[in-house]
Amino acid sequence: MLRVLEVTKTYEERPVVDRVSFEVRPGEIFALLGPNGAGKTTLIRMITDILRPDSGEILFDGRPVEARDRREIAYLPEERGLYRRSRVIDVLAYFGELKGLAPREARKSARTLLDRVELGDWLEKQVQALSKGMQQKVQLCTALIGEPRLMILDEPFTGLDPLNVQLFEEILHERRAAGTTVLLSTHQMSKVEQVCDRALMINRGRVVLHGTVRDLRRQHADHAVVIRTEDTLPNLPGVLAMTTTNGEYLLTLEPQVSSDEVLAALVQRGIRIESFGIATPPLEDIFVKVVNQGLGLEREPRMRDGAETLAGKGR
Amino acid sequence: MSLDRQRIGAVARREFLTTVRRRAFLLTLIGTPAYFAVITLISTGAELSGRHQALDELRAVGVVDSSGLFAGAQREIRTEITPDAPRFGQRSPLPAASLAFRTEVRFYADAATAEAALRGKEISQSVIIPPDYLENGRLRRYARSNSLFSNTDRRVIAAWLARNLVFGRVDSMIARRVARPAEGEVLYALNRRGEFELKDEAREVLDFLVPVMFSMLLGLSIIIGGQYLLQGVSEEKESRILESLMCHINADELMAGKLLGLGAAGLLVIGTWVGVGLLVSGPMLAVLPIRLPIWLLGVGLIYFLLGYLFFGSILTGIGAVTNNMREAQQFSVWFTLANFVPFIMLTTILTRPDGVLALALSLFPPTAATTMMMRLTAQNGAVPPWQVALSIALLALAAWIALRGSARVFRTGLLMYGKSPSLPEILRWALRP
Repeated sequence: MLRVLEVTKTYEERPVVDRVSFEVRPGEIFALLGPNGAGKTTLIRMITDILRPDSGEILFDGRPVEARDRREIAYLPEERGLYRRSRVIDVLAYFGELKGLAPREARKSARTLLDRVELGDWLEKQVQALSKGMQQKVQLCTALIGEPRLMILDEPFTGLDPLNVQLFEEILHERRAAGTTVLLSTHQMSKVEQVCDRALMINRGRVVLHGTVRDLRRQHADHAVVIRTEDTLPNLPGVLAMTTTNGEYLLTLEPQVSSDEVLAALVQRGIRIESFGIATPPLEDIFVKVVNQGLGLEREPRMRDGAETLAGKGR
Repeated sequence: MSLDRQRIGAVARREFLTTVRRRAFLLTLIGTPAYFAVITLISTGAELSGRHQALDELRAVGVVDSSGLFAGAQREIRTEITPDAPRFGQRSPLPAASLAFRTEVRFYADAATAEAALRGKEISQSVIIPPDYLENGRLRRYARSNSLFSNTDRRVIAAWLARNLVFGRVDSMIARRVARPAEGEVLYALNRRGEFELKDEAREVLDFLVPVMFSMLLGLSIIIGGQYLLQGVSEEKESRILESLMCHINADELMAGKLLGLGAAGLLVIGTWVGVGLLVSGPMLAVLPIRLPIWLLGVGLIYFLLGYLFFGSILTGIGAVTNNMREAQQFSVWFTLANFVPFIMLTTILTRPDGVLALALSLFPPTAATTMMMRLTAQNGAVPPWQVALSIALLALAAWIALRGSARVFRTGLLMYGKSPSLPEILRWALRP
């Protein structure tokens, strides 16, 4: 659906985006990650045709992004606002018209969306009468209206309470089920782990990580396993270190020892295992590690039990 | 870059409706003419009452005549004032009601006695006529108070002096005529059509008011639309909605939509003012000797469109490079003022509508629209067609350059926040293709 090929953008002789390439596939939720100032917003602005790349190419449906694609691409920027003195329905209908809907169709679509985000009773109110969270929901609606095929959401969860975060996630999944592709930029790594299929991380304008979320976490995993059990674990051969927190054991293994061998040893000793998995670092730690590496700083990531238990992998 | 008419239409519609629904718009629509009407009423009333008051206070004048020329002079001055408004009506069916004032003339033996009478409020002014008055015309006048802008009292006393200098020495009719030699003067002057035209007081007022009114309307309509643009862009920058918008619409379409929608709002204001003005004062206008060619409306519309495009583009660019309305207005005030410079030079332009200054200002794009409208509606000078054509061509060129440059500045400046760019930076953006 979207292909970014060797795209470069330079400001005052400093490359802000430096030969970045990636592809977003139809129907997936793709995370665009990076620290502040990494070049994410510039990259997004180039994808949405707000800025033009100095070199490289951005293809939407196999051809360069052009004016007509504005109807297919929606963007919820991080720095966002609304017309504060306008009525909610008017603002949303306006965005609908800009997306190519006829005025009547735009109003109808706006009503449906506002009902979906539980703001059906507020559509005649002025935007400034809404709480910050409510305004955030209206802003999401500005990206949803017109049923775009590609939604680019920059920090969509900021400022939302858990209930509304859940609502956002539901809507994302609904849209995805309907075939919408989502490019999500966020610093909330837990959300990336929960909802994204693949992720790209850029730092100082360059790609530093790219792949499925699962693969990224596994690639950065240390040689360790996480075991949940109510029994007390004995000393096991091949285990370098063992720490325990709330019935969860983290075992750091010697390089030549496999996780299978540890599992076999535990079974052999009659330990009742509730769960067993490879300890994978949270995405947040990988993010910190990669960014620090870029800055010449090193810090080891914490170990955490991932969702990838051995049982879950088919064993 | 291709422009999408549907998106431009959506922006124009929104800008127009949002603007005309605002309270501030209604205030402009109703408040501005009401303000000018009140100011006009107050100033006209003040001027009239000033004249009345001057005559009312001039109940008694003291004269110390050392020349002996006024020994047999009249001891009373009678002054009649006919209010201005009915005087329009040499064509009006209503007769003008006049007001009569009487001033007593008291003679004193010396200046000291006259001064004492003045200080004692027995008289309101005293005139000291020296022995050599006939040779050099010098005399002194003492008054209890002095009005900065009224010379009514001076005119009354001067007429008394003139009449009484010859009173008893020549025929009484001659004496009266000496006092008011041009009382019944009727002036005919060549108009722009080469015809001699009656130049009465009403005509002179109209000759002044018509160009001022038309050019003021044009200048205001240009600036009102421009100010709406500035306000709209500044609000969008402040509310940080622009980046969301820019995904849906490109900067050129956004700017085009704004220019159209807010230009229409500006036209609505002026249309309403003119319409209501015609309705209210229609019967009076029908009897006034205003003769303006119909093509003037077309030329006015061209100047409005080009002037609005010129100023509107510049103000939109300013809105894009500044962070908020206050900053934007600090920059825009200079351009707004340029549109009204001709009003500062109003007297020169109306006295010599074919002079060098009037020509230069009507060719200089920032002042072209208002100056040319003044010249075209002025009654004492025809504007050669080539000057109108050249003025329009130069304004069109300037508007095109402003539009192109501002569109570039608009594109670059919209998403910039924080420190405002420097002038060289803005120029660089404007010139960058």
